[in-house]
Amino acid sequence: MKAVFKVEMIKNLQDKGLYFWTFILPIIFTVLFISIFTAGTEGADKEYVIISIVPGYTVMFVFFIIISMGFSFIEDRNKGMVARLASTPLSPYAYLMGKWTPYMVIVMIQIIVLLTFGKIVYNIPIDQPVLLSLLAIILTLCITGMGLAISLLIPTGNMGVAITQVVALGGALLGGLWMPLEHMPTLFQKIGKFTPQFWAHKAFKDAMTGTLSHSNFLVAALVLLSIGCVGFIIALVTYPNFLKRAKN
Amino acid sequence: MLSIKNMSKNYGSTKALQNISFNIEKGSCFGLVGPNGAGKSTLIKIIVGIIQQYEGTITFGKSLGANQKQKIGYVPQEVCLEENVSALENLYFFGKMYRLTGKELHERADEVLSYIGLSDRKKDKVKTFSGGMKRRLNIGCALMKEPELIMMDEPTVGIDPQSRQYILNMMNEMKQENRTIIYSSHYIEEVEKICDDIAFIDHGKIIEHNNMDVLLKKHAIPSVYFSGDRCSKYIQEIEHLGTITEHKKGYILTTRNPMQAMEKILQLSKKNSVVLDQFELLQPKLEDVFFTLTGSELRA
Repeated sequence: MKAVFKVEMIKNLQDKGLYFWTFILPIIFTVLFISIFTAGTEGADKEYVIISIVPGYTVMFVFFIIISMGFSFIEDRNKGMVARLASTPLSPYAYLMGKWTPYMVIVMIQIIVLLTFGKIVYNIPIDQPVLLSLLAIILTLCITGMGLAISLLIPTGNMGVAITQVVALGGALLGGLWMPLEHMPTLFQKIGKFTPQFWAHKAFKDAMTGTLSHSNFLVAALVLLSIGCVGFIIALVTYPNFLKRAKN
Repeated sequence: MLSIKNMSKNYGSTKALQNISFNIEKGSCFGLVGPNGAGKSTLIKIIVGIIQQYEGTITFGKSLGANQKQKIGYVPQEVCLEENVSALENLYFFGKMYRLTGKELHERADEVLSYIGLSDRKKDKVKTFSGGMKRRLNIGCALMKEPELIMMDEPTVGIDPQSRQYILNMMNEMKQENRTIIYSSHYIEEVEKICDDIAFIDHGKIIEHNNMDVLLKKHAIPSVYFSGDRCSKYIQEIEHLGTITEHKKGYILTTRNPMQAMEKILQLSKKNSVVLDQFELLQPKLEDVFFTLTGSELRA
């Protein structure tokens, strides 16, 4: 598992495109949208927008890691690496864990960088740092778990891009990352509660402002962890089919 | 070493393998010959554990034991390496898959690099390698755990003659080390050079399986080639010795008794004052055996 992790990590570190998607683009969007939505506002209103946008765009952009995960698995499948590894004593579980963990590390770093940027540039509050750290870990597990499932199911890399766009952007819209849910129609507000973005964003905002109760934290953690676990289970169950489609 | 009984595999309505049975002895080099799509790769993938749903049984001998994946090295048909890391990192990667660690891993990687002739390029990224070098490294990765059984699926496809020869020499060395090799190819001349036992496979069936010498004796008929002005004058007189076909500027006489045929041709040439330009005994080849068995040339 460690060997798979190491090679996957090296490949990702060499991928300059990943730096753009992971750090540069989210920072550009955050700066851009904060400047647009805070134009003409001051004090509490401005702070409200910033506290919504910084975690909102963090949550939205971490979903794009699914694209990189998809391409990596498709490459392994089409190049024959999956089949070759299946001929070695490496178990499917170890292979999936080895592929999964580098993306957890990347997403964790991404969350830390984006929130640190928010703290330095916009002085966002971080009133419950322990809960915020736990949420970062749980969100990481949730998104990469989803990514794992999608990566093993998609037939092509482009399909992965398409599904990620729907999940990331659709979820961002319905989950209240772009505009507060209370400003949206009732039906959308109800649907939004089925998205991981909603739970992550709400919990992040509350933890930042120090209003996240333990029970609300547990609910959000449970929802996000469940999605991550379901993702891993789907990946494990669909692995034989993924191997069947592998070259070599 | 390995026994396969009544193995069948279907992909939908396509019968990839049909009731295949054979045994492979320890230390032998077993050639699996057949055209593309014959079922060779499917058979190999079943043996190495990539395909797990099939009919029939595989029995691994005591030397492979229960944990056979540790003792089988698989060289896939496609070059399958991590291109963005070095040759050494690739060997470490696959060595770790076979649970090699520390000093043992490093020493074995150096040994394999020397074996495949890439010691001087060990720190270079694989993406800078030629096709032949990648093929050698592809084999090297399968040798990290010093496997008892090496499965090679068309390891020489698309490479230059020098690299091909290097790989064939490597295989001869492996044979001398008493390793068991299963070698799949549609390059019949390679199989002829290195394998002891051969199975012809086509349309998912083993058409014939035997020792190379037995196969040649049993199925291939020797022939005599002769050419020269006015040879046609005595063709009718040798027709009863075998089958005559025109070939280039002369004739090929396929016969079970080539010595008698050669003697007769010489006699007739002398009698008719025919000067032979070319006169030779053509040894039967494995390809002829396949031709005899299937009635068709190998599909490349």
